[in-house]
Amino acid sequence: MPTKNILNYSYYPGCSLHASAKEYDESTRGLFKALHIGLQEVPDWLCCGATPAHNVDELLSLSLCAKNLELSEQAEGDLAVACAACFSRLKVAQHKLADHPDTRKQVEYALDAPLAVEKPVKHLLEILANDFGLERLAAAVRKPLSELKVACYYGCLLTRPPNVPELDCAEAPTIMERVIGAAGAEALNWSHRLECCGANFTLSRPGVVLKLSGDILASAKRAGADCLMVACPLCHGNLDIRQQEIEEASGERFAMPVFYMTQLLALAAGVPAHKLGFDSMIVSPLPLLKEKNLL
Amino acid sequence: MQLSIETMNLEFVRKVEALSGSSVRRCFQCGKCSAGCPMRSFMEHPPNRIVRLLQLGQYERVLAGRSIWYCASCETCSTRCPNKVDLAAIMDALRKCSWDAAGHSKESYVQLANRLFLENIRTYGRQYEMRLAAVFNMKSGQFLKDFMLGPKLITRGKLKMFHQKNKNLPEIEKIFKRIEELRKKGEAP
Repeated sequence: MPTKNILNYSYYPGCSLHASAKEYDESTRGLFKALHIGLQEVPDWLCCGATPAHNVDELLSLSLCAKNLELSEQAEGDLAVACAACFSRLKVAQHKLADHPDTRKQVEYALDAPLAVEKPVKHLLEILANDFGLERLAAAVRKPLSELKVACYYGCLLTRPPNVPELDCAEAPTIMERVIGAAGAEALNWSHRLECCGANFTLSRPGVVLKLSGDILASAKRAGADCLMVACPLCHGNLDIRQQEIEEASGERFAMPVFYMTQLLALAAGVPAHKLGFDSMIVSPLPLLKEKNLL
Repeated sequence: MQLSIETMNLEFVRKVEALSGSSVRRCFQCGKCSAGCPMRSFMEHPPNRIVRLLQLGQYERVLAGRSIWYCASCETCSTRCPNKVDLAAIMDALRKCSWDAAGHSKESYVQLANRLFLENIRTYGRQYEMRLAAVFNMKSGQFLKDFMLGPKLITRGKLKMFHQKNKNLPEIEKIFKRIEELRKKGEAP
């Protein structure tokens, strides 16, 4: 008999999770299923506009987000968002539309409908730490990640600007450390948790990414990290996909696996490794996971 | 150039303030924004100097330069400003001014990437990274950029060769059209 879900959410994966970050999507679904949390994908969701839209056309950015929030009403439960950038855009839109009646009118005109944008938007981290709860998360662990030294990397948009994401403190957050700590891993203290990885310059100016992401990898290595843990597909792309290039540019060897937080948590919760997309990662985590007896 | 009351341009400052919802004039040049800015070493004018140039009416130097396009929107400046200047929003406003004025800036690659990104939304509803990267390389004349990454990503299933369009494309097109309409009527920035 199927177990009833304890919580249910509508789900906005975002463009990357259907392509370059497919292991984030797979591991999110795997983890949530193991924890008996329901996820229903928003039908026909569209791109949130990400950085390019708000960079040059705020009204378009807000309208795309408002449309997605409207579409999310077709699925049950608060809106669960995996990508830090989509999460940030949707939250910013809610704040702006609540605070600026003139802008709200313009977006209403663009959508040709009264706005329905009040559904709570939650990042997966928030769902795991607050709604589901760390105690239940710890109780769900089948394979503790003990001996795994994890450098939790927040990047920019999970916590900044203050008062918008409402996830944790903007300058000294602990939510990632708390979540992975519940799975038994050792979360390290290190210097570059909140520095920018170079984000979408990966397409236009990859040199920027080589410098900024290189600094992040070097910092994690100095702190003695076995691996990085991220919650954003852009950060992942820069730190994992471009890692070999970074090594060539900086002359420093990292060989540092970069996990999505859901991959590590799902592994701890007993989801079979072959369902977690480890073979999709450019820097293979398999030697590390074997060494730590986690496979 | 000698700075004086004649060289200031309060009209432009007011425009940026209206677009960004942030004061430009409150900045007292503590420099905290530039101290935390991850992109300052790529900019000809770091963030605090951009604000100072605006205060002094030197906006053309700001719009013509590449600094505003090298802002990563990481929001560190806005987070740390002790006087509540939302510098990240000011950067968005400046990019919009430069973007609308077409041809102002020296930074063409970032603008090209932005343009293709937005075109993809209008045409397909979602981003398809493969198409985005391929068209960017073609249009920027860097045919071999990231050539070595392609096969790695394809064998790991990270780039979709084929994709579908959203079913609600007419609704998406309508959003773009109605925003254009608003602007034509002068009812939106």
